[in-house]
Amino acid sequence: MKPQRFIAKLADKEFFNEKFSKYVFEMEEPHRIDFESGQYVSITVDETGDRRSYSVCSNPDTHHSFELLIDHSPQGKGTTFLQNLKFGDEIDVMGPLGRFVLAPDKGEDEIVFIATGSGIAPFRSMILYLLQDLGEKRPVTLYWGLRHEENLFWQNDFQDLVDEYENFKFHPVLSRGSEEWPLCKGRVTDCLAVHDLPAKGCYYLCGNAKMIEDVNTLLLSKGVVAEDVHFEKFY
Amino acid sequence: MVEDSVVQTKQIGKYKVEVIRSKCISAGSCEAIAPGVFALDEEGIATVISQDGNSDDEKLLAAQSCPTDAIVVTDIETGEQVWPKA
Ligand SMILES: Cc1cc2nc3c(=O)[nH]c(=O)nc-3n(C[C@H](O)[C@H](O)[C@H](O)COP(=O)(O)OP(=O)(O)OC[C@H]3O[C@@H](n4cnc5c(N)ncnc54)[C@H](O)[C@@H]3O)c2cc1C
Ligand code: SF4
Repeated sequence: MKPQRFIAKLADKEFFNEKFSKYVFEMEEPHRIDFESGQYVSITVDETGDRRSYSVCSNPDTHHSFELLIDHSPQGKGTTFLQNLKFGDEIDVMGPLGRFVLAPDKGEDEIVFIATGSGIAPFRSMILYLLQDLGEKRPVTLYWGLRHEENLFWQNDFQDLVDEYENFKFHPVLSRGSEEWPLCKGRVTDCLAVHDLPAKGCYYLCGNAKMIEDVNTLLLSKGVVAEDVHFEKFY
Repeated sequence: MVEDSVVQTKQIGKYKVEVIRSKCISAGSCEAIAPGVFALDEEGIATVISQDGNSDDEKLLAAQSCPTDAIVVTDIETGEQVWPKA
């Protein structure tokens, strides 16, 4: 799908916590968006034409709108521009962009998604599409690293998917979880070190560059081949 | 030098683009927006395959869409750096 410029309008905003919000944009001109799960859009964020990239977090089977998951903490041009948008405000968008999409099924044993923070955005789109639209039957596992309990969101949505699809597993990991946090604590790499990682798996990594480097090194040391590790660095 | 002059004579628009390899994170927007100018090499890093494969507007849009400002656009007539803005 060749990228094109379009106008979209802020239709809804879901405030999850201090750090994260979800934005829903309704297509204005043209009225339809076609993209592959995992792709991102580039939004004009100031009058000089400066742009920022944001992965679409919604299922690509919806064409009249798209959703973005924003981590507000950087507080630079992009995040403040989005934060200041009011309902009905129009944005100038270029997309779809990016090659970080689901790879063709090569018969890998498992599909594993590893995210930190807002790196969950493209994975939500990919996982919804895989399970709900493609009817994927191989095991699909999501590891998601955040800092504190207060940063968590979507855990009920992912838990609903766990309940509905027996091949889907979800592991939230908190680097600074409280004493009460019952699940994995530490960095995502610590959590991965104690779980079975299939050598013949298809891996998708998304988030900060350091996590991607560390996890990639870990995977290669476990015998995963480089072609089976796909990644997108956000910063 | 010979290579430079080849590029100059082929150039149609007034913008010249360069990629700062160390900044490229392989996101691929440049290639998607201006495929006649940018292509990702075997390491996934953007390279300039031609200066005249797309219009100046498309070259500038590709640079503006680069998440890491890895693409520098220069106006060859004035020598001014058009993107990123200083
Ligand atoms: C392909 C791609 C897809 C992206 N998708 C998303 C997405 O779905 N959701 C999202 O929130 N962001 C996403 N980003 C990051 C986003 O493009 C911006 O970099 C981010 O919003 C910061 O922009 P800013 O103008 O507010 O801050 P800037 O002034 O540009 O950056 C301020 C500082 O914050 C750092 N930074 C950038 N992102 C983060 C972060 N998440 N946490 C902590 N520090 C950060 C930068 O490295 C920089 O040092 C994506 C980036 C890329 C390259
Ligand atoms: S848009 Fe920027 S980061 Fe992405 S491939 Fe092109 S030069 Fe590299």
